[in-house]
Amino acid sequence: MAGPLEQFEIKPLAELSVAGIDISFTNSALWMVIAAVLVTGFMTLSMRRGALVPGRWQGSAEVMYEFVANMLKDNVGSAGRKYFPFVFTLFMFVLFGNLLGMIPHSFTFTSHIAVTFAMALVIFLGVTVIGFMRHGTHYLRMFFPEGAPIATAIILIPIEIISYFSRPFSLAIRLFANMTVGHIMLKVIGGFVGLIGILGVLPFALLTGITVLEFGIAALQAYVYTILTCIYLHDAIHMH
Amino acid sequence: MPQFDIATFSEQIFWLFVIFAILYFLMSRIALPKVGEVLERRQKTIEDNLGKARALKDETDAAIAKYEAALAEAREAAQADIREASEKAAAEQAKKTEAMVKKLSKKTSDAEKAIADAKADAMTGVAEAASEIAREATDKLIGVKVQAKTADKAVSAIVGE
Repeated sequence: MAGPLEQFEIKPLAELSVAGIDISFTNSALWMVIAAVLVTGFMTLSMRRGALVPGRWQGSAEVMYEFVANMLKDNVGSAGRKYFPFVFTLFMFVLFGNLLGMIPHSFTFTSHIAVTFAMALVIFLGVTVIGFMRHGTHYLRMFFPEGAPIATAIILIPIEIISYFSRPFSLAIRLFANMTVGHIMLKVIGGFVGLIGILGVLPFALLTGITVLEFGIAALQAYVYTILTCIYLHDAIHMH
Repeated sequence: MPQFDIATFSEQIFWLFVIFAILYFLMSRIALPKVGEVLERRQKTIEDNLGKARALKDETDAAIAKYEAALAEAREAAQADIREASEKAAAEQAKKTEAMVKKLSKKTSDAEKAIADAKADAMTGVAEAASEIAREATDKLIGVKVQAKTADKAVSAIVGE
């Protein structure tokens, strides 16, 4: 019986290393490739005909496009249009990563802190660079909002700095923790099904419910990851 | 927990960046422009069709207005014709009536004159006859010859003319 953590193990499929750094192609990378191929296939094959009246597949692709476009427009405004391809790629990549993880014996690359944190760090650094490029040193005002009494600076500035720098952590840990905990739960409860004989129908029913819930969480966490990115982008472009 | 095995970080992050970059390229260069183009084309088609429909509606409205104006004009013209015709008819009728009245009154006056003439003639005849008869009677009864003039005078005195 495999332990509940075994599903998160990184297994190299092809050993590779450049300048002493291990860049082996692993099961994680394989599922990233699968996600990227599916996203690309979904977004290009369904739009192949580019029909005026969309079919089911084209309609779905358009829904994803408009969903992310509206999210960006509502949260960032028209200034965010430039970043639409990035935000869309991010959303689809995380969404497919989360959903593919629901396939039994697959691998959930979004359940790894290295992946979620690397993405969060890129977003954090990118947003910070955008902020300084648009506002120059005025962007430092983020840490002390306009109109706040000067006496509050001693409390406000450290709080704002901490809250600003905790962004990549909250972004990364939220996704990683949700995916990891969900999968551990499924595995543990799944383990009970076979162990307790006929009574196994009870954990099985529970498992069915939790599986539905996990699908919801997979979509929701992709949405949360993306919308937080949009909100950070909004702060960088419009300040508070 | 395999998530905290730092030895696997480099391989995960390397492939994450490579695959994410490729996916970003495919989305931004191929997939998304196509979707955007299709959505834009649809929006344009809808707007074009709406514009066309609006133009057709305007055209229809204009045609209806024109038709109604023509109808009103025709009705007015017809009414004017009717008015003119009835006025003409009334005038003609009045003229005819006047002529008829004139003719009739002339006839009446002619007849009245003829009657008066006849009556005068008759009266003259009666008087003459009476004076004749009176002279004859006087002669036969008393043998006095009365002058015609005197008899006439007596007769006209009795008749009271």
